[in-house]
Amino acid sequence: MTAFLVFTFAAIGTYLIRLSGISLLGGDRDLPPAVTRALNLVGPAAMAAIVANSLLLDGTEWRALGAWHLAAVVATGVALWKRTMGVTIAAGAVAFAALLLAGL
Amino acid sequence: MTSPSPSFLRIGRQQWQDTWAGVRAVAPLMPGAILFGLAFGALIRVAGINAWVGNFASVSVVAGASQIAIVEQLRAGAPAAIAVLTALVINARFALYSAALAPVFEAFPARWRLGLAHLMTDQSAVVALQHSPRWPDPVRRRWFIWGSSGPFVAVWAMGTAAGIALGPVIPDSWQIGFIVPLMFLAVLVPGLRDSPALVAVAVSVGVVLLGKELPYGLNVLLGALAGIAAGAMVPRRAAAHDDANEDPENPPTGSEASL
Repeated sequence: MTAFLVFTFAAIGTYLIRLSGISLLGGDRDLPPAVTRALNLVGPAAMAAIVANSLLLDGTEWRALGAWHLAAVVATGVALWKRTMGVTIAAGAVAFAALLLAGL
Repeated sequence: MTSPSPSFLRIGRQQWQDTWAGVRAVAPLMPGAILFGLAFGALIRVAGINAWVGNFASVSVVAGASQIAIVEQLRAGAPAAIAVLTALVINARFALYSAALAPVFEAFPARWRLGLAHLMTDQSAVVALQHSPRWPDPVRRRWFIWGSSGPFVAVWAMGTAAGIALGPVIPDSWQIGFIVPLMFLAVLVPGLRDSPALVAVAVSVGVVLLGKELPYGLNVLLGALAGIAAGAMVPRRAAAHDDANEDPENPPTGSEASL
């Protein structure tokens, strides 16, 4: 029962967060150029934050250098070369599997 | 969609095609969402939480990292209010996507805005932001965004259900946690070209690492905010020539440019 209530309140709160910007900044108005510039950076900044946190850190510690870093370098290289999402994921997954099989 | 009939389920052919375009845009990320769902489902089972509650979590909260944090808090015997607050702090980044999507959703009817908001995930929000300039017609755009968010949430929920049913079937040695940075690298890097975005990325990474001791994933939120603030101060043109990754002869064009 506790778990159900916790998830329910988390769901309601998360939905309100998801609605916040759409409601506050929406409507028929032109946003100032500075705001638009900042909003254009939400995607890259948030993606980079998640990548750094999940790749380079393990909890509050540094992640030990190994297969994660090498496979990420391969994926980044392929992403810059091919500029497509699917090929990037495939290359990163294959590289990671190969590195794990190689015992890294 | 080769059917000659003008509509199926009272939804027009054009709408099906636009939905399908959205599904295709997000499809490479779906295996990752399924694996992440499997991992969350297995955790629900290991933690001894009711299977229905676990499935309910994935369709109501729709945010994996916060759901995992809730389960861990409950297992550690934390008070319920702390578990909820932890989840909301982790999910605060959705306010950023929501703000960025406001102009994208602006011309949608209210019921679409309310519905699509619930389906907002990191992946589908950024896919919507990257693709929306190519969907100027608000009707076609909303069907595209529905296609890139609804089915993505569906496979996440199916992954959860499978994980709860099967338990921890994926060996720890596979380290499937790597799917998280891999998915987000694949969303981030291909579209990365201009200087403000590169500065935002660099500052974001730096702040996340400096804040590594912070609890509740606050370093991620602060990193994103700092990256946005720093990148917004960089003029778009001036710095382009001193950037090794830029190719001034080859400006981004066409459909594959930001995929």
